[in-house]
Amino acid sequence: MLQAQFFDGVTAYRHEVCISVLDDQQALVIHAESLADPVRWELADLRALRDSSSTKQLTLTRYVSSVDERDPARLIVTDNDFIAWLRATQPDLFRRDVRKRTWLRMAGWGTGAVVAIALMLFVILPGMANILAQAIPIEREVAFGKAVTQQIEWVLSSSNAGMQRCDSPEGVAALDTMLERLTAGRDMHYAIDIQVFGHSEVNAFAAPGGQVVILSALLEEAESPEEVAGVLAHEIGHVERRDPMRQALRAAGAAGLLSMVFGDLAGAAVVGEHLLTASYSREAEVEADRFALEMLATAEVDAAGFANFFTRIEGLEDGDIATPEHLSTHPDSSWRGTQAQQLAESQGGTTAILTPAEWAALQAICD
Amino acid sequence: MDTHHLASEPKSVAARQEPDSLSLFFLVFKTGLLTILTLGIYRFWQTTRIRQYLWGSTSANDSALEYTGTGLEKFIGFLIALVILALYLGVFQMLLFYFGLSMFNVSSSATNPTEQARYLVVVYIHILAVLPLLFYASYQKRRYMMSRTRWCGIRFSMEKGAWGYVIRAIGYRLLTVVTLGALAPLATFKLEQYMAERSYYGDARIKQGGSWPRLYSSLTHLFIGIVILLVCLGIFTWGYNGLATALLCVGGVWVAIGVVYYQVKSFAYMTSHKTLGEEVSFKAEPRTGAIIRIYFIAAVGMGVMSLFIIFIISVMTAIFDFGISSVTVGFIGAALSYIFLFLLFQAMKMVMITQPILGHYVQTFSIINPEPLHQIQQRQADDAVGAEGVADALDVAGAF
Repeated sequence: MLQAQFFDGVTAYRHEVCISVLDDQQALVIHAESLADPVRWELADLRALRDSSSTKQLTLTRYVSSVDERDPARLIVTDNDFIAWLRATQPDLFRRDVRKRTWLRMAGWGTGAVVAIALMLFVILPGMANILAQAIPIEREVAFGKAVTQQIEWVLSSSNAGMQRCDSPEGVAALDTMLERLTAGRDMHYAIDIQVFGHSEVNAFAAPGGQVVILSALLEEAESPEEVAGVLAHEIGHVERRDPMRQALRAAGAAGLLSMVFGDLAGAAVVGEHLLTASYSREAEVEADRFALEMLATAEVDAAGFANFFTRIEGLEDGDIATPEHLSTHPDSSWRGTQAQQLAESQGGTTAILTPAEWAALQAICD
Repeated sequence: MDTHHLASEPKSVAARQEPDSLSLFFLVFKTGLLTILTLGIYRFWQTTRIRQYLWGSTSANDSALEYTGTGLEKFIGFLIALVILALYLGVFQMLLFYFGLSMFNVSSSATNPTEQARYLVVVYIHILAVLPLLFYASYQKRRYMMSRTRWCGIRFSMEKGAWGYVIRAIGYRLLTVVTLGALAPLATFKLEQYMAERSYYGDARIKQGGSWPRLYSSLTHLFIGIVILLVCLGIFTWGYNGLATALLCVGGVWVAIGVVYYQVKSFAYMTSHKTLGEEVSFKAEPRTGAIIRIYFIAAVGMGVMSLFIIFIISVMTAIFDFGISSVTVGFIGAALSYIFLFLLFQAMKMVMITQPILGHYVQTFSIINPEPLHQIQQRQADDAVGAEGVADALDVAGAF
């Protein structure tokens, strides 16, 4: 006979009880004068509360099939030997009983959530982004693009103290010549606005509204003006296909969604956003390449320069940790180079896009 | 009213909360690590286990509270909320963006008036879209927690009524803003009353007594702080900058303390004027000084810890500066230390701020005339489908 406290789950009255385990070790019986009849609990059904802060007592309840799979009655035992005996002999003491069909419900809602999120991320948001990117008034897009370019400039200058906008008149004139040659005879949606920022990274981007940014290292690394022309044609391809706008619209919707999924685990949300951007943009990059090749062909600019550029990018990538293709925002460089090479071999008469003097002026645009 | 010192003082029992800080620290740290390893999914189980622990360490009349919620039902609630919110928020954000009203293309520092007006419109649209959901979430969260709390084997519960709460919350908050805070006590009183009077312990309902104008005395220190700031503004325009700066500091601190004072005193008033059934009432006597001391000690403790960590990191960097073979190793090292610090401070915050404050509120709480509690009858289990999913999805779940 052991002393214990018992709440019968019907009233809040505390019964001071005696408990005893039956001889066959199958059940325990709870007796008290305040209880109408002794209560019998099968030992196999006993459950103890988990993550309790008290080590001196154990609160027991009983497994029954109900909303929370527990008998509302509670038995509080404080006898150390009895607690130790229960722990040793009852393997199901701390089992978590899950209501039937709970897993089914979770699977159902889990699938629902995954489908809803996937539908939003891969169908509805891109679809709406497509429609909205077409419908957004050009002036608003240009204003937004300027803000983005400014933001990029600010970010770049924080990582590179000497960052400046490069605009030597001769350099700008050379860029204009290049742009005119590429876009001659084309019906362009946007007035292309090219900026060169002095920065040590080999890169170029397109922002919404016809804003194109080239980093000066790209001009310095390029071996011929045709390489730069290829990159420029590629960025114009993004602009004309409204990729930057679409990307921005999609990101606006996705940001909220991802932060909901991952809670305050900000890192995971950022990684998720990157993977998502990567999956969208690889397709956009292939399309922009196609546009660029077609543009070079029409303008009779030698695509060998563009091919050469990819070959050298590949060399740069090898030095660093190689990024697997599905993690990268751009398709595999060697594949892109091959595409350009094929065009170059089929091209007939081409003429130089800049004179040597113009090319020298362009490379010195930051000086 | 404070009439308890009269000779015929009824019997009362004090509540207690006696957790073991060290095991609570390791519980938070361990479950936090699991949360990171599972990309955030374990956070529902983390909250549940922390609640189980805190509830279990809280007792009155030698009987501990019990938390019966499960991580699984919280996770399912979150999934349900996600399905609905995903569609709502995703489409909403995109439409705003299209109309040029997104946070992306307006700026608070715009100089021309139309741009400024547009910025304000954007801010208000966001608030209007999300605010009802936040109020909804706060009601559902409290309802879920009540439905999963037991004492002496008897369930607590709260009726449905989240949308009614949303409407009242928006109305009273708006009134508070329009009157520049002058009607804040009305909002505090009515909103707490709305929640309290839908609450049950077993078959006994909670009643909220008292009247809202009595909450004005809780505003005393906030008022003094604001007066100091106004005086400071006056002096500043007269050109006594040194004096104004000193007053600015004093006024700022006074306002901050005033906010805590209001929270503490209004809680004490509201709780001391609740009754359960016909006869059981409560007394809450939390002290502002005690709460501020907890914050102060935590600030000092975490500050010392931060200095110590900065010291360790600079030593480590000095040692390994030449040793780091590649960018990758350095990056992984930085990521691991970030995770460790995140977990460390999460656990420290629980042990030094969240639990001590909760503990202070519990320790200064007592039940007056607890005798009739024994007659209280059990109530039906409440399924509470959806748990507190909206709060979890919107990340307003709070510390536990």
